[in-house]
Amino acid sequence: MKYNERPTQLEETANAEAMTAFAEQTKQFNAHCKGVHHVEANLTTLGNTAFHAALESSGRAIQTNDGTKWQHGVDLMENTSICHRRTGADLEFGIVECVPMKSGEAKNLLMDNTHGVRELLKTFVRDERQLLGIWKNDIVEEVKEHLAEKYPNQDMSIVAGSFEIKMARAISEKPALAQNQSRGIRI
Amino acid sequence: METIPEQNQPSPPSTVTPAERLAYSIQEAADLLGIHYYTMYRLIQRQKIKTCRVLRGKLLVPRTELVKLLQTDLR
Repeated sequence: MKYNERPTQLEETANAEAMTAFAEQTKQFNAHCKGVHHVEANLTTLGNTAFHAALESSGRAIQTNDGTKWQHGVDLMENTSICHRRTGADLEFGIVECVPMKSGEAKNLLMDNTHGVRELLKTFVRDERQLLGIWKNDIVEEVKEHLAEKYPNQDMSIVAGSFEIKMARAISEKPALAQNQSRGIRI
Repeated sequence: METIPEQNQPSPPSTVTPAERLAYSIQEAADLLGIHYYTMYRLIQRQKIKTCRVLRGKLLVPRTELVKLLQTDLR
């Protein structure tokens, strides 16, 4: 590794080429990072909305892959929502991903469930951050493979390293404060 | 009628169809299941599907895991 040196012309060319080749993947990755940050920044609001929806027993009916029946509460991210159901006198909350299949139908996968909505949301954010780490490592490995094929016998670790740094930054970025939380403070 | 190839004739190149492979990349596995590849990462993180790596490379999903998943979670 030679991160403290200026990249060579070949490394710069390789970096530009790899950025084009992996543009779609990094775009989706960054969009997902923003989605996770949004949930993290709005944890309380989302939790309250989900809790009130559960108290009112409102929301469309959903059957998950394990056969249990839920009601839609609040959307978290694309195709992912908090759902709720009554289990005796208790309320139960679940993270459900609606998976569109190529056949045209959709499957509802129950990812996690518990009685506490706030705890569920915190677990969701932690899991999604871990997932982003797995995803990041996989993209970096693909970049390394791509570079090894395109530039055999060349040390392109600085290029793969730059991908890794950029994606790690996107994951660890501090969530922006939700607008409605700051509203009313400034006059 | 079945024809028997001559012994000195070069054998045709062995073509490995995707169905015969032992493991798939995340994108390939997602395509086979008909789901988004992001969902694959979710299933991996939630340990609903096991993966492996070859020489510290990218993640691979064993074929057996895909079959198992189809029989349970994606029913």
